Amino acid sequence: MTSFFDVLIGGVFHASVLFLVAAGLQLVFGVQRIVNLACGSFYALGAYFGISAVNWTSANGAPPWTFLPVLIVAGILLGAIGPFIERLLRTIYRRDEAFQLLLTFALVLMFQDVLRFFWGANPQQLGNLSMSYGKVTLGEVSFPTYNVLVMAASLGVAVGLGVFLRRTRYGRVLRATAENREMAEALGADVRGIYATVFTLGTILGTVGGALVVPTAAASLDMPVELVVEAFAVVVIGGLGSMRGALAGALVVGLTRALAISFYAELEVLAIYVIVIAVLVIRPAGLFGKPVE
Amino acid sequence: MTTNRRQVLQTIGGTGAALVAQSFLGVPALAQNKPLRIGIIAPKSGVVGTIGECGLRGTLFAVERINAAGGIAGRKVELIVEEETNPKDSIERLRKLVLQDKVDCVQGVVSSGVSLAMGAVAEEMKALLVFWDGTTQDGVKETMTNPRYVFRSTDNECEAVMSSLLAIKHWKGKFATIAGINPDYSYGRNNFAAFQALLKKFGVETKLVADQWPKVGTLDLTSHVAALKAAKPDLIFSSLLFADLPIFMKTAHGAGLMDGKTKFVFPGAGFQHTLLKKEFTPEGMIFGHNTLYFDLENATPLQRFFVQDYASKYKDYPHWEADRAYFAMQIYREGVEKAQKAKKAWPSTEDIINAMEGLKVESLGGPAEMRKDHIPEQTFYQGMTTHKNRYDFPTLTDVTKMYSDQLQKPTGVDFWKWIETANIKL
Repeated sequence: MTSFFDVLIGGVFHASVLFLVAAGLQLVFGVQRIVNLACGSFYALGAYFGISAVNWTSANGAPPWTFLPVLIVAGILLGAIGPFIERLLRTIYRRDEAFQLLLTFALVLMFQDVLRFFWGANPQQLGNLSMSYGKVTLGEVSFPTYNVLVMAASLGVAVGLGVFLRRTRYGRVLRATAENREMAEALGADVRGIYATVFTLGTILGTVGGALVVPTAAASLDMPVELVVEAFAVVVIGGLGSMRGALAGALVVGLTRALAISFYAELEVLAIYVIVIAVLVIRPAGLFGKPVE
Repeated sequence: MTTNRRQVLQTIGGTGAALVAQSFLGVPALAQNKPLRIGIIAPKSGVVGTIGECGLRGTLFAVERINAAGGIAGRKVELIVEEETNPKDSIERLRKLVLQDKVDCVQGVVSSGVSLAMGAVAEEMKALLVFWDGTTQDGVKETMTNPRYVFRSTDNECEAVMSSLLAIKHWKGKFATIAGINPDYSYGRNNFAAFQALLKKFGVETKLVADQWPKVGTLDLTSHVAALKAAKPDLIFSSLLFADLPIFMKTAHGAGLMDGKTKFVFPGAGFQHTLLKKEFTPEGMIFGHNTLYFDLENATPLQRFFVQDYASKYKDYPHWEADRAYFAMQIYREGVEKAQKAKKAWPSTEDIINAMEGLKVESLGGPAEMRKDHIPEQTFYQGMTTHKNRYDFPTLTDVTKMYSDQLQKPTGVDFWKWIETANIKL
């Protein structure tokens, strides 16, 4: 039982990070109908920028415990690139999905060189800061408190997004725009402003995700592609454009990976994609996606 | 150091010293009028970027010394650096160096995937190629049994053999269950298999309770660590050696995997030694530093000077790739000079190759030589981690030094049969 709990915690932690990025991907697709491969780059940018921000604040005398708020603020500030990227994407809103994929993939490659230019080619790390908050010990099971905080942050984002989209006026306008852009525009919605806001929010989810994961991992040039592959498994399982789908998909991918690693380590990727294929065959729209009419 | 792709690193000095040297050495003027061009292919990005960078620094150190002393047989050395990426593109860069830049020798390469493919191409092109690392083995089976132009590095399994021997020597009778977390390619697979084969050879009966094979570059090892912890092994053997190693160490520390009595063996830890901070890397683990341990108590004057020079220039401490790169340059240098002396004229590539075979040199990590089958013998270092030092990362105590003729198979012998039959001493 103890062993199973260890594995479970590992899976939920991985799912938490995946959810943040996949939520950004879902939000952007749900409203703007853009399949944004560059979400992986935002995640990587957040990781690198987070490291620089923490190093800078540490060098200026900030105590170690401040690194978590520093990372979150760094991720949010980095979201300022969102409106500029969205401006570029406006040129392909009404074009074929292949153009969207090509353009956003070009962004992935360009951002890789941006990372290399500013931070160099070597992976960057944050030492042992993730242990600054100590450990949580439950019997024989122990894990860093930081991991619990990341899981809580992810859950908080999920709840916050749900409330924002369902209970606020602006959230309703967003959903209306997602349903029918022309009608929303005719009723006076500022669609351009909405698109810029949604894209920036999606960007922030990615950058904060990257910033939050880096104390337990490392920032490397390969991380955007690695993440995009898993994030797409999440959205296929959960259903493209669905926020609840992102949460469910992230949990399925995170837990499947953790269980596969525990029992049949070599089947880690296969296990996830068996589920992806099963979902595509049995329920092509995903667990929470709307079937295409 | 920042080196842009295709950037020519023209090292110290002009042609004046070469002309002076020429008058003493009596080498044909035509050859000495131009610098000796050496192409370097090394990774500068990704999870192996730090490895390539350290190797390049080792090369620069060698070339600075060579040029300050008048060059190789009187010719200054000029480096042309290309990036090692995937096998296909790296081979294109080899062709460019040989055909377009007309280099006299190519050195470098860290990845076995690249060296395995590049070796055959260099042979076909008759291009003199000295690998820093990697191998020309498919698994542990040699694919180039009689190379003419390719000189490779020591067997990758040397460090696993050595750390297995140390684990048996120190802990035999103290562990009954084992687990592995090793990178999912031939290096990791062979290392873990070699460890198990040596346990069997020395009569250490164990039960395998978990084996993890993360892809190189996996940056979230939480689930792998959870699986290892769940298996409760007495000993964990890990050949992780790139950016994933510090992450594993941090994650394992955070999950409490290191709180118990589990013993750890890391044959390739030296690649990441400065990133494995004391706060999450306990004492008493077996660490391999391969062919260069920077803090060696009885280091040679050459090593001491190199480590000081490296630390003052780069604010860091070198690992073994610097030694591999230095060795490649030094064996080439001495090969050229030996051939030039014998011929009393500038030697051909064939003459240089003949001279390099069986040559002994002093490398940064100690004595080294190039066997006639173009596989080197070098000096290896491993020991137990200790926090008793002036650094923020562990160094070694109880350092063991072994020459690789005790750690790698002789010419033409099957690796697994060699493990079974060789007279290997603990």
